[in-house]
Amino acid sequence: MASLISCPHCGVRPKEEFTIRGDASLARPTGDADAGVWYDYVYLRDNPKGRHKEYWHHSSGCRRWLIVERDTVSHAVHTVSDAALAKLGGAA
Amino acid sequence: MPERPEHKPALADKATVEGSGIRLEPLPEGHLLHVIGAFDGDSLANALPTAGLATSTVRAAGYQQWYITGEESLPPSRIALLADHLKGRGFVSDQSHGRIRIALSGPRAADLLAQGTAVDLDAAAFPIGQSAVTLFGHVSVQLTRTQAARFELTVLRSFAEDLYEMLEHAAAT
Repeated sequence: MASLISCPHCGVRPKEEFTIRGDASLARPTGDADAGVWYDYVYLRDNPKGRHKEYWHHSSGCRRWLIVERDTVSHAVHTVSDAALAKLGGAA
Repeated sequence: MPERPEHKPALADKATVEGSGIRLEPLPEGHLLHVIGAFDGDSLANALPTAGLATSTVRAAGYQQWYITGEESLPPSRIALLADHLKGRGFVSDQSHGRIRIALSGPRAADLLAQGTAVDLDAAAFPIGQSAVTLFGHVSVQLTRTQAARFELTVLRSFAEDLYEMLEHAAAT
């Protein structure tokens, strides 16, 4: 697990200030989607080796949701962006 | 008529601590207004004299959020004045009774804070006027450098006594 996250609003902070929610690349199925599709969405997760995008909440800082792209092998953090602003800007 | 609870300052029982190179003091429970809005901190600071809050200070508290603080206790009408001034641009929430300020000063202040927070307190990285919402130990605080060797910690009321005792302990060792 990455130990330092560079928050775009607060600067470099230790991971203890954050809570992690998980995969940021999942797309929520529509309400009328097949049960199998929902099952996959709710229960099945990839366990990627390498670069991976996740949602992190800066719960003890600015309280913003961030998208952190980190390497699951080296623990290096590549990019950090504000999730809501990235969504408004159309790019995660 | 039923008895009404009397307001008692959260750190009323705490004395100022003076040690070698350190001074720890509870600050008066004046006003602390949380402002949220899509503008910048400078324009908020410029708006304060118009709202009758010329002596208050503005502290950044995250993305598009600020705290306005001062020693004076404000009646709702004064807070409404600021809310009116920011109408359409931002929102004001009175947190005066919810958050407590503690001052830590002296040549050892930064060293003592470094025991509990990960924020870089070097004067170049954290100059006078800079604020950060962070953790002190496991307690969420807003840390502000008000002078070269003086800091203020703003903490939720129910954590104030615990934080004060943590700092007392650190100051004594």
